[in-house]
Amino acid sequence: MRSSRTTALAMAGVLSLGLLAACSTDDEPSGEESDGKVTITVAGLQPGAETEAVDALNARVAEFEEANPDIDVEPEEYNWLASTFSAQLAGGTLPNVFEIPLTDAKTLIENGQLADISAEFDSLSFADDFNENLLESGTGSDGKVYAIPAKSIYGVALHYNRNLFEQAGLDPDQPPTTWDEVREYAKTIHDATGVAGYATMALDNAGGWQLAAAANSRGGVIQEQDGDEYVATLDDPAVKDHLQWLHDLRFTDNSILPRTDLGWGEINEAFAGGQLAMYTSGSDVYNALVENNGMTEDWGYGLTAIPSSNGGGALTGGTLAAVTQESTDAQKDAAVKWIDFWYLSKMLDQDQAVADAQLRNENGQAVGTPVLPIFSEEQYATSLEWVKDYVNVPLDNMKGYTDVMFTQPSIGEISASTQDTYALLFPIVQAVLTDQNADIDALLETANTQGQALLDQ
Amino acid sequence: MTTTSPLGPASPPTVLDAAPSEAPATRDAVTRVRRKARSDDGDDRSAVSVSDWRRPSVKWSLGTSHWLLLVLLVVWCVGPLLLLAKFAVTPTQDILRTPMAIFPNGIAWSNLSEAWNDVQVSKYFVNTIVLAAGAWFSQILVATTGGYLLSVLRPRYARALQAAVLATLFVPAVVLLVPLYLTVLDTPVFHTSLVNSFWGVWLPAGASAFNVVLVQRFFDNLPREVFEAARVDGAGPYRLFWSIVLPMSKPILGVVSIFAVIASWKDFLWPLLVLRNPDLQPLSVRLPSIEATTDKGVLMAALAISTLIPIVLFLVFQRMFLRGAGLGGAVKG
Amino acid sequence: MTTDDVVLRRHRRTPLTWVRGGGLSALVFALPLLLIFGVFSWLPIVRAVVMSFQKTNLITTSWVGLQNFQNVFADPLLPVATRNTLWFALLALVFGYPIPLVAAVLMREVRRAKGLYSALAYLPVVVPPVVAVLLWKFFYDPRPEGVFNTILGWVGIPPQPWLQSMTMAMPSLVLEATWAAAGGTVIIYLAALTAVPPELYDAAEVDGAGVRRKVWHVLVPQLRGVLFITLILQVIGTAQVFLEPYLFTGGGPANATVTILLLIYRYAFGNSLGGNYGEATALSLLLAVFLAVMSLVYFRLTRRWSTS
Repeated sequence: MRSSRTTALAMAGVLSLGLLAACSTDDEPSGEESDGKVTITVAGLQPGAETEAVDALNARVAEFEEANPDIDVEPEEYNWLASTFSAQLAGGTLPNVFEIPLTDAKTLIENGQLADISAEFDSLSFADDFNENLLESGTGSDGKVYAIPAKSIYGVALHYNRNLFEQAGLDPDQPPTTWDEVREYAKTIHDATGVAGYATMALDNAGGWQLAAAANSRGGVIQEQDGDEYVATLDDPAVKDHLQWLHDLRFTDNSILPRTDLGWGEINEAFAGGQLAMYTSGSDVYNALVENNGMTEDWGYGLTAIPSSNGGGALTGGTLAAVTQESTDAQKDAAVKWIDFWYLSKMLDQDQAVADAQLRNENGQAVGTPVLPIFSEEQYATSLEWVKDYVNVPLDNMKGYTDVMFTQPSIGEISASTQDTYALLFPIVQAVLTDQNADIDALLETANTQGQALLDQ
Repeated sequence: MTTTSPLGPASPPTVLDAAPSEAPATRDAVTRVRRKARSDDGDDRSAVSVSDWRRPSVKWSLGTSHWLLLVLLVVWCVGPLLLLAKFAVTPTQDILRTPMAIFPNGIAWSNLSEAWNDVQVSKYFVNTIVLAAGAWFSQILVATTGGYLLSVLRPRYARALQAAVLATLFVPAVVLLVPLYLTVLDTPVFHTSLVNSFWGVWLPAGASAFNVVLVQRFFDNLPREVFEAARVDGAGPYRLFWSIVLPMSKPILGVVSIFAVIASWKDFLWPLLVLRNPDLQPLSVRLPSIEATTDKGVLMAALAISTLIPIVLFLVFQRMFLRGAGLGGAVKG
Repeated sequence: MTTDDVVLRRHRRTPLTWVRGGGLSALVFALPLLLIFGVFSWLPIVRAVVMSFQKTNLITTSWVGLQNFQNVFADPLLPVATRNTLWFALLALVFGYPIPLVAAVLMREVRRAKGLYSALAYLPVVVPPVVAVLLWKFFYDPRPEGVFNTILGWVGIPPQPWLQSMTMAMPSLVLEATWAAAGGTVIIYLAALTAVPPELYDAAEVDGAGVRRKVWHVLVPQLRGVLFITLILQVIGTAQVFLEPYLFTGGGPANATVTILLLIYRYAFGNSLGGNYGEATALSLLLAVFLAVMSLVYFRLTRRWSTS
């Protein structure tokens, strides 16, 4: 009897203990250990990265830890998606160092959701070398720095499959330069090979983002700023033109991949799988194609500038690295050191640049993918020179982009209600791809009214 | 038919008839008698009698439709799974270009090893099992202790408590999505977050009114004389619970267990919100997040491996599964 | 009331007698239920009601009255999501209601290898739902090389867009959902069929009824209860459908598969700059009222049928 009573008591108590246990384990001061070592978690690779990419990252982490013996770095999988980010933010599950789109920074700073890293930032030797405008987007209205430009600036560009061009009798060294040509090429490729000539992202906000990029390339904008007032211009003729163009590819030529469930990652996978010949995305997508989809140098990848007309240009956007609000001072310090090491040093320090390039090269990761620099153009050229022995991307196949990347007009992402505006646009992209009778004018008008309401809030 | 997860459908299958209508002992005797009578008859009784079967028209049409049904069941229910098995060992390019051809370019066993090692299906499988086990335990604990309290001990506050439990049956899980998430983010009293911890899935799973009512109704129908006899023999409430009530309740515990395990392994949205750390995620959360970046062949292999073990479990414990499922709607017609 | 009673009562109230009388052990048994339900059920329910009148970013919270409800009703996606959810429910009934019934009636008459039939029918139910969705998503590949389009090609039907069409997306979702769930329905019907009292058949036979009449006049009426209950269960279940639209289409194309629960999810978690928890709970409360009515009907009916 004694024993069964004890058992029952124990059982009944287990849950309360469980609560306590759950709390006590989570309550440990995150990061600081008794021996004075600091642990930080950092944004690492996308889910589903190739093993080689993981190896390369781990080797860089080891190098960092060797140079900073009192810091312990734990990379975590990271994939910024509008649809999951806020749960991570609210749930406190972001790594100490995480990445955000340039356009989201101001609101997150206002909401007090990013850590103030001014002190740590100022200690960086090259703090003054940043592009002013770029740095400004990570600075709060109090003048303090909350997020640091990281990675690169991407310009949206056209990616294509050279093998499919050849199979269709097109010259892969003469990629299309206007949207009309893209349409012709797409039809030729589809007719000759049966493979879709073109595809567009249409899933979630990525679909709106690419529609905005296309509108920009046609000389349109989807938002105008008038002093402090923002005006939604989703019904810009350039937006209409592109939607009509997509509609024609779908229902007149039947040359576009008829899918509306492609996001940033899905379209990369479909492209790498040979299911489409051309699509637009950030100019640095080649890195991801190697990292996640196992693309190799001899695959037949081609990169060229986004077609442009009416004074349009390439939509550009960037990534900032930020530190979680919950981080301790020691963690913030370590976090900025990591940001310096992982994102920036390879652009500024010859030894680091070479070390990084060598390691990436050995692990089959892309070195030398063209991006727009976050420091000066000269610095970018210099850093490329440092690593030229390790470059393993098919630079010859990227000339269409590299020849004009610094000269084509670049158009920044809209700054107010960016993601919400994209969210209004992607269903319209889906509509023109699926509904032959889609009323583009009416759809845009409704979206524009809603977009303006968001801005007026 | 799930109730365990905070996000399962609002109302569980009927509660009222899952509990035995007679005391288990007598019921068993009755079924035994019935079964005996039936076996004398040759088979249990259905709409088509033995004499009906002798008529050629019935025999022919029913026989044909049975064969037809069998073929349809194989094509419709097993077909997709056979395809999955085939894709799991087909090279990616063949899957994409000629999905229905039978191994035009050989078999790619490497898909399976890549899924197991690189995608780490093994790890997520263990997570899935650990989640199910914990959710099962918390549900059994709450349901048995709660049922015992409400049915056998019956303190003065039992009625109010029962009403409070019953009331939650009418609140669909969807209402809880956001507030429960915020509760788990910052638990009352302890002020810690259960996000990225198995507890964040296990503990809310225990709050299943359906289980409590199910078990309570079963206890209600246990013979009171046995309890009285035990009390006279000097058994306290704990011993009565552990040595008398629980052993008599195996059937209902089996039912609750099956519901608990099935619900846990089907759950998607709640673990998606609570378990952000990939090292803790079950297969249901992990597979969609790698879908876009994983090679089709490897993805198919991962899907196939994730399906294999539930199917083996099902084939082994078929009877229990089907009885549990039938109980879901075991309402008197 | 006699003096004895009063003495007894006062006597009962002391802590020691409370413990002796089993009060403490009762509390021990109540503890798991109180803790778990308190924290993870009662508290969130209260919180849901409170939050629907608030605006919060988890750091600061303010009362906004009925603003959340007004915003929800003003959302142009609400009627779309409602329509889609009802459409899903209707399609689920059309696909998933009569066929399992016919299958169950036929299976009831199987003489040999009965277990094989039920096992086959139930097999898809044990496939993890996420696996089923990801597999079917691939089946629905819209290219002519897609799995279903290849099969259609064998019989000369041109390739279909499946999930990539505003009209076909929802039926495609429901087809998969039916595949995954029909086995369970078949087993429920089968259990109900087994429970039909054999005397009824005998009586019908005495009246000279044939097979068809026995099915129509004995079986089907006996199944009325279970039929109605599965109907309501299905409505309650489909009102909360999330997995299929979330994983198959993300609500697309052009909002054709946005369901109420997907909308709630988007309010709460879809904006990268922070969730709108007030509107999310406001909408879930509205859905809850509808479902509570359905549940009440369901309970009324199950009670009536179980007592009659």
